[in-house]
Formats: sequence, C-alpha cells, structure tokens
Amino acid sequence: MSPARALRWRQVRGDLRHDAAVNVALVVVVALSACLMGTGAMVMERLLSSVDRLFEVAQPPHFLQMHKGEVDLAALTRFADRHPEIESWFVEEMVGFDGAALAWERPATGASGDLGESLIDNLFVAQNETFDRLVDAADAAPVPEDGEVYVPVAYQESIGLQVGDLLTVATSSGPRTWEVRGFVRDAQMASSLSSATRFVVSESDLAALTAAGGGQPEVIVEYLLTDPGLASDLERAYAADPALPKNGQAVTYTMIRTLHAISDGLAAVALVLVAALLIAIALLVIRFVVRGRLEDDVRQIGAMRAIGIPARDIGRVYLTRYSLLAAVGCAVGGALAVLAVPLLTRGVQTHYGAAAAGGRGTLVLLVALAAVALVVVLGCRRALRLVRRVEVVDALVHGSTLDRRQSRRRARRQARRARRTSLAGARGGVTRRLALIDLRADARQWSLVPVVFFLCAFLMGLPAHLLSTLESPRFLTYMGAPQVDVRADLQLADDLEALRTDLTAALTADDRVADVQVHALVLADVEAPDGRRTVRVEVGEGAAQGIEMIDGAAPGPGEIALSLLNAEELQAAVGDTLTIHEGDQSRSVVVSGVYQDVTSGGKTAKMHGDPPPGATGYTFFVDLAEGVDPVALAASYDERFEDVTVLPMTAYVEQTMTHVTSAFRATAVLATAFGLGVATLITVTFLQLRLARERRAMGTLSAVGFSTAEILGQLRGKTAATAAVGAGLGAVGAVTLGGPVLDVLVASAGVGLAHLELAPDPWVATGGAVALVAAAWLAAVGLTVRLRGASTSTWLRD
Amino acid sequence: MTVTLECRDLTKTYTSTDPPTDVLRGVDLSVRSGEFVAVMGASGSGKSTLLHGLSGMDRPTGGTVHLEGRDLTALTDAQMSRARLTRIGFVFQQAHFLPNLSIRDNVLLPALKAAPREQRAVLERVDALLERFGIAHVRDHASTQVSGGQLQRASICRALATEPAVLLADEPTGALNSSMSREVMDAFTDVHAAGTTIVMVTHDPACAARADRVVYLRDGRETGTRALGPWHAEDAARREDELLGWLRTLGF
Repeated sequence: MSPARALRWRQVRGDLRHDAAVNVALVVVVALSACLMGTGAMVMERLLSSVDRLFEVAQPPHFLQMHKGEVDLAALTRFADRHPEIESWFVEEMVGFDGAALAWERPATGASGDLGESLIDNLFVAQNETFDRLVDAADAAPVPEDGEVYVPVAYQESIGLQVGDLLTVATSSGPRTWEVRGFVRDAQMASSLSSATRFVVSESDLAALTAAGGGQPEVIVEYLLTDPGLASDLERAYAADPALPKNGQAVTYTMIRTLHAISDGLAAVALVLVAALLIAIALLVIRFVVRGRLEDDVRQIGAMRAIGIPARDIGRVYLTRYSLLAAVGCAVGGALAVLAVPLLTRGVQTHYGAAAAGGRGTLVLLVALAAVALVVVLGCRRALRLVRRVEVVDALVHGSTLDRRQSRRRARRQARRARRTSLAGARGGVTRRLALIDLRADARQWSLVPVVFFLCAFLMGLPAHLLSTLESPRFLTYMGAPQVDVRADLQLADDLEALRTDLTAALTADDRVADVQVHALVLADVEAPDGRRTVRVEVGEGAAQGIEMIDGAAPGPGEIALSLLNAEELQAAVGDTLTIHEGDQSRSVVVSGVYQDVTSGGKTAKMHGDPPPGATGYTFFVDLAEGVDPVALAASYDERFEDVTVLPMTAYVEQTMTHVTSAFRATAVLATAFGLGVATLITVTFLQLRLARERRAMGTLSAVGFSTAEILGQLRGKTAATAAVGAGLGAVGAVTLGGPVLDVLVASAGVGLAHLELAPDPWVATGGAVALVAAAWLAAVGLTVRLRGASTSTWLRD
Repeated sequence: MTVTLECRDLTKTYTSTDPPTDVLRGVDLSVRSGEFVAVMGASGSGKSTLLHGLSGMDRPTGGTVHLEGRDLTALTDAQMSRARLTRIGFVFQQAHFLPNLSIRDNVLLPALKAAPREQRAVLERVDALLERFGIAHVRDHASTQVSGGQLQRASICRALATEPAVLLADEPTGALNSSMSREVMDAFTDVHAAGTTIVMVTHDPACAARADRVVYLRDGRETGTRALGPWHAEDAARREDELLGWLRTLGF
C-alpha cells in the first residue's frame, strides 16, 4: 500500500470511530433500503422462476375456452385443421362440485371436516397426457389408480390435508370416497386469485363420478400453439366461429401468467416501492451528514489544502469512508434479504414449486444491492462537491465552508432576518419565540425532519389505507355487487330452477328479510367489432342498482351495463348499441353505463329484466330487517339449502379478497414498523448532528439564564413540531395522493378497475401520525436526557 | 460593606482525564458589594473555571458559593438558572450572540425572559443601556455587522439588562485590539462607577489595573491578592507599573 493510501485508510478508520453513532445510523438506513430492495427483487425473481419452472413441466395451454354443455367435436376438429399454428389440442372433461359437497376424514385420528367454506369451484379431472399436466412435488405428472385422488396443494396448505386422508364427494347417487395419494400443482389454476381448482382421479373414476350426478359437467377446450404470441389471434378466431363451444371464460397464456404475477407479485412490488422511499430518505440523511461533517472538519480541510493536498484527494478520503459505510450497509441488507426471502416465498413455493436457487437469484440480488450502493455513493459524491468550493483562508480563519461571496450573502441574510424579527411583543414566551426564529433561520436543515416524516407517514399510510379500502363495505361495488347484508350463490346444481323457486319463496316469507333481489347468470353472445364474444350477463330486476358507475347510469329496460374490461373488449361506450344473440333470436340493447368489477376475470355485464330461462346460475342479494344478524341468517340458510352458498357480504368479500388483503396486511404492518424505526433512527441521527451544531447557542442561553430543561425542551419541541408537520402532511398526502397512486396501480394491473376510491381509515391516519410524532419525541428525549446536569460551560468551548 | 459573592474552599476536578485533573484546589474569595475584582494567572491556572463555578454554569467538586447570602451549590438546575438570569451577568471573551437576533434582541433576551410581563420597562431599560454604551445606532444590526468593540459593549449591556447583583467577565478584551480593549474597559469602569460589583478574569495587566483588587491564581490556588484602590484615569500608568511589579514577584 502506498504511503498516501495508507494515510487515507488510517484517516478513514479514525473518522469511522469518531462518529460511531451517526455512522451506525447511516449503515442501518442503507441496510434497510438494501434489504427491502434485495428482498423485493429476489421474491420477484423467485416467483417468475417458479412460475417458469412450473410452466415448463406442466405446460399450461396457450389458449383455453371453458364451456358447460354439449361440445361439437367435429367443429373443433375443423377449427384445428384450419389453424396450422395449433400444435396440439384436446377437450378436457371435468365435473365440478360445490365445496359443501366435499368432505374429508383422517382414519388414523378420526379428524374430519368439509370444504364448504371454500368459494372456489372444485373440478375433478383425469390426468392430461400431452400438456396442461398437473404435477406433484417431484415435478412428475401422477396418474392415480382407481380409488385414489391427488388434491390441489392449496388444500394441503389451507386445511392441512395429508396423504392417506379420505376424500368424500356427495353425489346424487350417494357418497363416493377416495384416498388422498398426494398433492398436485396446477399451472393453469395455481394463482391464489383463481376461482377454480382441479383434483386428479383416474379415467374410470371420473366417468363414474360424472355418471353419479350431483356435479356440473364442464369442459375446457385447450390449445397448445407453435408460438404463444399467436394466442390472441386464435382467441379472436375462436370467438368468431359460431359453431364452437364457448359459454364460459376464454383465457390466454398471457392472462394466466399475468394473474400469477399480480396475485403473488404484489407484495414484491410493494417491497420495492418501500425500498425506493427508504433510499430517498437515506439520500437526504447522507447529504445532511456529509455537509455537517464537512462543516465540522472545515479547518482540517483548509489545513490540508494549505499544505498542497488537492481537493480531489481530500474528497476521496470522505468518499472512501461513505462508500465503505454504503458497502457495509448493502452487505448487511443483502444478508438480511437472503434470510427474509424463504419466509416470503413459502406461498409461492407451495403453489408453483421451488425453483432451484440458481445463479439468476444471486445475480438479481447483487444487481439490486449494487443499485442501492451506487445511488448512495453518487449521493455522497454530490454532497462532497462542497470540498472543492472550500476556500483555504475562509476555512482556516473563519472556520467556514463558504467562500467570501457566500459569506457575504449569508451575513446579509442574517442581517435581514435580524432586522425583521423582534423578540419584543412576542406571544407565547421568549423560549417559544426563539425556537420559531431558529426554525425559520435554519429551515433548510430542519426541513430534513418534516421531509423524512412526510415520507414515513406516507409509507405507513398508503398500505394501511389500501387495506382498509379492500376491507371496506364499499369495495363490494368493485365486485359488481350492491351493498347488501347477505349473498347467496346458486350454481353447479342439477335442479337449479327448483332450488331458485324454493330459495326465493323461503327468503320472501322470512320476516327477517327486508328485500331480495334475484339475478340470473346467463351467457350471451354479443357482437363485437372483431367477432362475437360470449359475455357473462347478470339479469334481474334492478340489476346494477347500488353499483357505482364510472360512466353512465344503471341499465333500464332494453339497456345493458358493462364491466370496464368488457367495455374495452367490446369497444363499446355509453350510448352505443350492442347486438345480443340468444339462440336464433337477436336483439339490440343500449349500453347505459360502465362499472368496475374484479370478479369473473373482470368481464361481466348487467341487464334489467326478468330472469330468463336457461340461466347457468343465480345470485341472491338479500337486505335484512333492522337488527338481524347476517351471520346467523346466512348460517341457517346455508344449512337448509345444501347446494347454495349463503354468506354474509363481509365474509364474501373477505374470502374473495383474503389473499390480497393478507398480503397488504403484512405489508402494512411491515411498513409501519419500518416507518417508525426509520423515523426514530433519522431523528436520533439528525439531533446528534444538530446538538453538535447548536452547542454554542445552547451554552449562550444557559449562560444568560435559561435552564437546561428549557434549552432541551426547546430542542425537543422543535423536533416534535417539525415531525408533526411532516407526519401530518404525510398522513394527509397518503389519503389524498393515495387515490391517484392506487389508480395507477389498479389500472396497470388490468384486473377490471380504473378508479378505486380510497376508503382511508381515519384512526389509522391519525394514529400513524401520532405514533410518528411520539417516536420523534421519545428519540429526542432519549438523546437529550443525558445532557441534564451537564456542565453547560463546556458547550461554549470548541 | 456587605459581601455580595463569596466562595469557600472551592475545588473542581475533571475526572475525564487520566489521571484526574485538579483545576481548582480550594479557592477562597470574597467580593464586597460594589467591588471590582480582577482575577489573574497563567493559562491553566483555573481562572475561567473559577468564574464558571461562581456563576453556577459548572457544579464545583467541593466547597460552597454564596451569592447575596444564598448557597448556589445547593440549588436545583432550574433555581440556579433563575439566579443566573436575575442576579448574575456574564461577559465572555467571544460575545456569543445568537446570530439570528439583532443586537437589541440579544441584549433584550435575558431581561425579557426574567420579566416577561414588564416588557415596556425592559425595553426602555435596554434602549437606555444601548444609548449609554454608544451602540444605539447599531441596535437593529446583526452581530456579524458590528465591530468587536461594539459587540463586547453590547455583551455588557446584555449582562446588565437584568440589573444583576454581580457582573462576571471572562477575558472580555481577549479577542480585541488595543483601542477596542480600551473602549470596552472604559465601559467596565463606567459600570463599576455606577456601583455594579464586577469579577473579571484577565491576563492583561492594563485591564486588571482598572480593578479595586487583583487576585492571583496559580495551579488552582490563590497565591496572592493586592488592593489597588479606586481607579483614576490619570493614575493609570502608575497603577499598571505597580501591578506589574507585584505580578513579577509572583512569577507572572
């Protein structure tokens, strides 16, 4: 090592020891940023790798069409022959059962239960041979023997099913039982937002189960293409062919992938956003620390420049020091990220399987850490440009980092300020007046506190408000449902019409019920500019009443309201006329409004009128009389009508959104912990540097008769006041700016929402701000308490 | 004449050094009402520490300090601060003015803090002080806009604004050139002539010659005291010579 370099290292080591507390705080802030950034990046990489790997072994279809009813195989064959891009295709036969029809039992312990609480469709299938395979933990596609079943991994996780358990399905001709042989992952329906899941049984068991009755036979027509990019074209061609079966949803490969990324990648995106905010805070603090350090060291810098050491070399000493801190912070953050990632990817591993932790994950982590380090070092470099501007004489004689012009300017500023301010006539006492004057004079430095607290309050508020929005009763309006007390879903039943009549009669006769709306679900073919589309339409008296329209109004007779995604797909706006084909007849309806809906893939429609015959299902929206408990009523109907899922609306929202809300709850808790931790840390760092700078002024005040308690109280008051301004603005910002941020997020997610009205929780907003101010106050008290009883004369010495 | 300020067996030991440093080793000092005492001694003899101990800015390790008969060492921090605010004025070598306040507001600060309800009287008193010490014309200036001499005179105004029982000064001319020093010492002399009790630390015999009495410290102990009698400007040279002669006998 050259003597110059050795000297530099010695100096860096000495400096690091000298400012230990501030340096530790810097390292912690950088480490937290690096940890979150690294974790977010790695979780994203894990998720994509796992999805890729599952897609590789399971080979989901590039395009699929769901259908209930008869299938014209000849038409499908003709379609496939006309399209050379189709590499392979088949029709998967399935039979669907409501969760209430499925029960499990553990012979060894006698434990048992049912799947009635689950809202997703349970589809029984046989293993596919060519593609869209359901794979086990070893990536093999198991083919069960008769009497064996492979259960979706989601149930292994949610109800703790084990190999050897017995699964019983209630059919029209009695219960049928299988032994659970293992668990399968489903590339097509792995997403935690998916509305269906598949069980694998043997070919003959599937045939017997279908024949047994009680289930709803369904098919999926699946296509594997030579080029997945052609899926959208194929989808259009398929929709345009009237002979093909298509009364269910059509899904492309990209949609499956997007759904996976959205449902399980949200937390990762949130982590990266939080990390970005933390980096912004870290940069502010670094600037403050570096400038403070340079001001303290200015005579030393002046002396070094006086003996001929170039400014570049002096700057390098500081840069080495802060680069070292950034490197240590990033290393610590990286290590924490490596520990955190397995905890956060447990769900991903269950649904998609564990991808081998290869070099790509390490590379992603390193890139994320390097990015954080680079930003921090560049921030330091920027702040260190001050070294070059230090004038030797000013530094040595006046101990100032300012050159003569700047000094003159500062003196003029001070003079102006001194002339304008006056202690005489001050309200609220001299101490408070002094604090205000000081805050105004040093506004640039003190602004660090409100800025950091603004960011922290924003950071804490946003996920909390998103959570309260997702949990609020208003969110129902984004699920295409009015705000009612109880909802009953009637699908996949043999005697649909009879059940509907019974349930309607029972609800109408019940004096606990104030109002019932019955909506029929029908699949209608709608003429779109690029061919016919099958649209899921809810028909009923006052369908779409109580649902907020983002454009237009609820439909009246001869009108239809479209969900946002359907309006986009059908290229229809309010006032446009659509042609609907029902069997051989067709009629025209006018688009009355567009609403937001996240259910059924975001593609729904609502029409006014009597429920037509041939509906595929019914939804009952029930309003209760004053004081009736929706939970008790739902439970009684759920028990009485086995094939109907009756739930209080709150439970419906909770179940449907549980994955998203739990991700946001975790993020909100994490953000609160980080926000409070970072705010405290920054307050301590800031005050430590501020105390050093205010020593003389404090000594002066002490000498003229201010007590230590008053002097420290002034400092604490300034800290709490600036923190309160920042936290208050941050809390307001999270509420007001949260909406637009949310809109950008939901619009880019493509889940059927364009505008989500934030339903902020006022307790969370005020509680968060109060907690932040309390943290600032406690940090200030903790840091200054040791100064009580100090010899104040030392404050006046250098 | 009554004793205004008195310390007995005052000791101060700094334990932060290894071995601990005894800065004051049992100093006894009595200052009578209206007396002007100069404390002299070499660097490190404990002059400033004695002043900080007398003002209550530092808690002594041992001994007592009585101001107007009240034991300062027995007071709480708040009581001590109140005593410093109302009964003690302090002038430093550096003016230690708050940079964001005008000269007048800096002077006003302790007086306003001591008597917030008597703002009008306080303002009148402060303005009269500024006038008396010839700095009324710079009262709205910032501390960076005035000369060192003006600043130190403003310091004296600040110290006197609360009408204290005693004025403590720590090397008030240490950072000034000779003409400014004279300006400031003239101000001290005026204050003394008006009846204010003063204890001033200085290393400058010309300044010390203005005092009624000079106390000499060496290694934290008082090693001599000399009464000079009342100050007369025409007698300045003789007093200074006499003082220097005495100081030399003490090894100054």
